[in-house]
Amino acid sequence: MVLWYQNSHTFNNDFRTVSLAFFNRYPNPYASHVLSIDTLSRELSPAGDLCTTRLIKKTGKLPQWVKPFLGRISESWIIEMSEVDVRNQVLRTYTRNLDHTRIIQVEEFTTYNFDKKSGKTQASSTVKFSSGFNVGIRSRIEQWSHSKFDENVKRSRMGMAFVMERLEQHRQAWS
Amino acid sequence: MGNAMSASFAPECTDLKQEYDNCFNQWYSEKFLKGLSMENECSKQWYAYTTCVEAALVKQGIKPALDEARKEAPFEKGGESADSDASK
Repeated sequence: MVLWYQNSHTFNNDFRTVSLAFFNRYPNPYASHVLSIDTLSRELSPAGDLCTTRLIKKTGKLPQWVKPFLGRISESWIIEMSEVDVRNQVLRTYTRNLDHTRIIQVEEFTTYNFDKKSGKTQASSTVKFSSGFNVGIRSRIEQWSHSKFDENVKRSRMGMAFVMERLEQHRQAWS
Repeated sequence: MGNAMSASFAPECTDLKQEYDNCFNQWYSEKFLKGLSMENECSKQWYAYTTCVEAALVKQGIKPALDEARKEAPFEKGGESADSDASK
């Protein structure tokens, strides 16, 4: 089964601040479950896009009902890929979990588009939940993934906003 | 960005990671975004950090799944199909 969710949000910040906050979004008080983040590769494409692959480790916050299937899982790993197109002021990001994928796989695509006219950055997210589970358990997964999606989107935005505020403070302190 | 930097999954790499991240942040915001440099200037910090991480990764059970995932090109395929499938 596969479920899709979409969401968008406007940050009142320029591309510099939003993209820098993306690269520095952990740690923040809204992501205490994130244990580490490492850059595995970073290169400039022939077109001049900055392409980055990172590895994130989180403590597992799985719902109660998957415990019989998984036992005691305390950690999970996430791969994150991103591309910065500096000429068009666009940042594309992709994340997905690397383990427990038979139970559930969560893929998130987010595009951050800077709009010159308004000076704001629009973030559009598409999240795909896939699970090998059959129909019987579907409604539970549906319910869980939906509430999880709402909660995660909210928390990641609060985290980004927090990091951006910190960046602005640094910028003011430097100038 | 001197404070509140995140850790590496391998504690022995965290200091090297922070040195690299500091260099990257500086280069990214002051040069790359301004179109002043199309060359990553943090190669010294990068080499030290990535050597540490690669050595630590070998010992992690996640390595095979990670190697598979790194071959994917999500922006070429997934991003667009994600958009079109989502509207169904």
